Amino acid sequence: MGQYVIRRLLQAVPLLLLVSILLFILVNIAPGGPLAGRGQTKHIRPEQAEILKRQYGLDKPLAVRYVFWLIGNDWTKVDNDGDGVAESYGQSKGILRGDFGTSYRTRRPVLETIGDYLPNTIYLMTITLIIVALLAIPVGVISAVKQYSIFDITVTTLSFMGQAIPEFWLGLILILVFYAWLKNPFTGGPLLPAGGMYTIGAPFSVWDWGKHLILPVVMGSVGWVTWYSRFLRSSMLDVIHQDYIRTARAKGLTEKRTLFIHALRNALLPLVTIFALDLPYIVAGSLYVEIIFSWPGMGRLYYQAAMDRDYPLLMAILIIGTAVVILSNLLADIVYAILDPRIHYD
Amino acid sequence: MSFKKSQWGTLATAILVGGLFLSGCAPRAATAVPESGAGITAAPEVEEPEGATAGESQVVIVIPEDPPNFNASLSDTGYDALVMELVMLGLADLDPEGNIFPELAAELPTVENGGVITDEENGTMDVTWNLRPDITWSDGTPVSSDDVIFTYEALIDPELGSWTQGIDYVDGIEKVDVDTFIVHYNTIYPGYLYQFGGEQMAIWPAHYCDAAQGFSQWECAQKPLSNGPYLLEEWIVGDHLTFVRNPNYYEKGKPVIDKIIVRIVPDSSVRKTMLINGDADLDMWTTEGMLHDLKDEPNVEISTSPNNRWVMRLFLNLAARGTTDPAATPHPILSDVRVRKAIRMAINVEELSKEIFLGYSKPIWTEFFREPYICNIPQPKYDPEAAKALLEEAGWSDQDGDGVRECHGCQAASEGDLMEMELITYAEYGELLELTQQLIGEMLGEIGMKLNLTIMEGSVMWATSAEGGIEQTGNFDINLWDDGFFGNNPTDFLWELYHSASAEPDMGWNVGRWINPEFDTLLEQSYTLDETVRKDLFCQMATILDEEVPVILLFSAVNAEAHSARLQGVQSTINDLVTWNAADWTLK
Repeated sequence: MGQYVIRRLLQAVPLLLLVSILLFILVNIAPGGPLAGRGQTKHIRPEQAEILKRQYGLDKPLAVRYVFWLIGNDWTKVDNDGDGVAESYGQSKGILRGDFGTSYRTRRPVLETIGDYLPNTIYLMTITLIIVALLAIPVGVISAVKQYSIFDITVTTLSFMGQAIPEFWLGLILILVFYAWLKNPFTGGPLLPAGGMYTIGAPFSVWDWGKHLILPVVMGSVGWVTWYSRFLRSSMLDVIHQDYIRTARAKGLTEKRTLFIHALRNALLPLVTIFALDLPYIVAGSLYVEIIFSWPGMGRLYYQAAMDRDYPLLMAILIIGTAVVILSNLLADIVYAILDPRIHYD
Repeated sequence: MSFKKSQWGTLATAILVGGLFLSGCAPRAATAVPESGAGITAAPEVEEPEGATAGESQVVIVIPEDPPNFNASLSDTGYDALVMELVMLGLADLDPEGNIFPELAAELPTVENGGVITDEENGTMDVTWNLRPDITWSDGTPVSSDDVIFTYEALIDPELGSWTQGIDYVDGIEKVDVDTFIVHYNTIYPGYLYQFGGEQMAIWPAHYCDAAQGFSQWECAQKPLSNGPYLLEEWIVGDHLTFVRNPNYYEKGKPVIDKIIVRIVPDSSVRKTMLINGDADLDMWTTEGMLHDLKDEPNVEISTSPNNRWVMRLFLNLAARGTTDPAATPHPILSDVRVRKAIRMAINVEELSKEIFLGYSKPIWTEFFREPYICNIPQPKYDPEAAKALLEEAGWSDQDGDGVRECHGCQAASEGDLMEMELITYAEYGELLELTQQLIGEMLGEIGMKLNLTIMEGSVMWATSAEGGIEQTGNFDINLWDDGFFGNNPTDFLWELYHSASAEPDMGWNVGRWINPEFDTLLEQSYTLDETVRKDLFCQMATILDEEVPVILLFSAVNAEAHSARLQGVQSTINDLVTWNAADWTLK
């Protein structure tokens, strides 16, 4: 297993390199560019565009820009002042040395900017996924065990509704009901906050942070809970009709032990794989949840970077995302091997 | 490998606590208070929502996205200027009526008071500024001529600097003494009064900002040292910025409100609900739709700018699509001025502004529609029948009866070519502009002009030619978007939009490639300080623009802010951001 993991990690290096080339080309050749104005000044004056082009490094051919992005330009002289003479060494160290460049928008190091947003997303999405697992697994199991019961029919109906409801709309409705309509009977204020991670200026309290989590987690988890519970129900139904379950019952095991030890473990196998493949969402975040609930997370950061054509920030997010996807795939394989003794990686 | 119940519980707790740690207890991306920021109070320990200490007055401004930094000269998103106005001052600023008032300056230099000396023969001028002696940075250091010179030199640095309007006209700044300096111009520049102020430019502290980091990247733009009414207390990136009053602000007794929180709330529906619920006090750049929804709310008031700046307009490409020389390759349809006039006549601007923009806009037909330059240009009549007749005269008629005109003796198209074009607008403005685009398409369809509607991102429409920007490459027929100038000096704006030098790709935004030597001459002559001459020249230009119709002006878009009824003193303005007078705001 150890050798397998090392081999997979080594294979990931050229894969990341290849993906980085493709992403770099796609990001840079996409229509539009960072020199277009926005906000108040829709069009940037040519004099300013010329300066920005140089500062952003856009005055170089695409291939040179990629090389500089990868390995930096502190080993070669560049023309920093636009006089046509390459007079001083560049400042960039390149991503291989941990320098992801400077955001066009904020003029701050890209990693600093990501560092502002990433923990917020990990925090929200981790808790969302835990809630998803805690709800989806029992709902899926009970639905399967009590197939065609009132519970199953109700859950099935709610599942379809949950999958059909647009996430964006659900978030707005949650705010309307729990922020605008329902009041806290003790304070008279809104029952739940409209957004943000905590009450600005208030001292830290778990309750304060927790109540800011409720609506974003509900909005973010509804779709996942319905999807996972349906998946587990189907998987569980497959398993409980297998011969080994009949054997377990024939041996006289209790129904509880049969279902939860023998059936559930096997039914969870495919779900674990899917769950592992969904792990990148922990760093990617959910754009709609972050917009509706004013959550400063990676989804919003990525969207803003895409709208601004903030190439260094976009590339950093995409490369980090790619790395997480690769690692999640590897994790899924490893977990599968641990859970299913029939699988060996040699 | 298996977990016992207690182990699962431990794991879950660990993840939960870990998550909280990552987001809450770990450094929260806060931009700390400047170390040298004397007089900044510590974050209060409070019980009330949103951080208001008992007895402390506070307002919450909601905006959709984080300001990039406090240097509005760099990207001009508006959000940077909003927060810059709270902490930074320029030499002078403009009020909503366009009157210029001094900030750091002791008085406005003019020809009359001897502050401006022009050399008409050589076309140069010198402007002498005196700074107020009583303004200090928040660390107690006086604001001095050195700060102005430092800012100018950092700005023009070819490597790490930037560019602002009119900066090329400045040859240098000469220090006279600690409070006095002379700006040397290589031309007569009418915009000199707010060149180092206004909504985009502030003076930066020489002793605090790191010159080596450069104007475009210095950290003091993230952690500014204040000389304005407020001090930045904390910046939680993506979430909020907290400002507290500057106890050393030069206007005694101001600001009145103790604390201003700028919250990032991306969704407009949520901002609106917060305003109604009383959790927000001010929504920046409130859209027409939201104004309409809020107008009857008892807790909400609306401040509208006394003047308009943004004029929705149609940019007409006079060169054939994909080309930039209208003489060599004229646009087959739009190069004929009769067609351009027919389009103008066929659009019912009153209907657009009333029905779609909900009465918050008004028809505009000339660039010179507000003080100090108002020209008497008659409003074009909405007359689709006359438009049809003009198209017939121009050689465009519908002989096959399919509802779309063809060229039959027209000026620049081939015989039989259809009168079919693309009408593009940008996505970011939202639904109202999309509806406007559709209605214009229908109106022009009624006179036999087929318009294919396209919506694209602004970053595609306004990109440089190397980036494939459709305007700079000339790859469009008619574009619909809003533009206008702030302040009271239209010369730079007119140059950018109408001068022939700006018709070259990437050299300006005369993207319709309208070339008129007479207009060029008038515009060049308007770089003078003689107001009588300027007014006359502008009105001559207005007449030419009205006759030539290189751009069709439609109506003004509203510039307004919705605010809570308890917040008093808010005055929306086209010449600055709404925080321009934050020091005067009060709560009732």
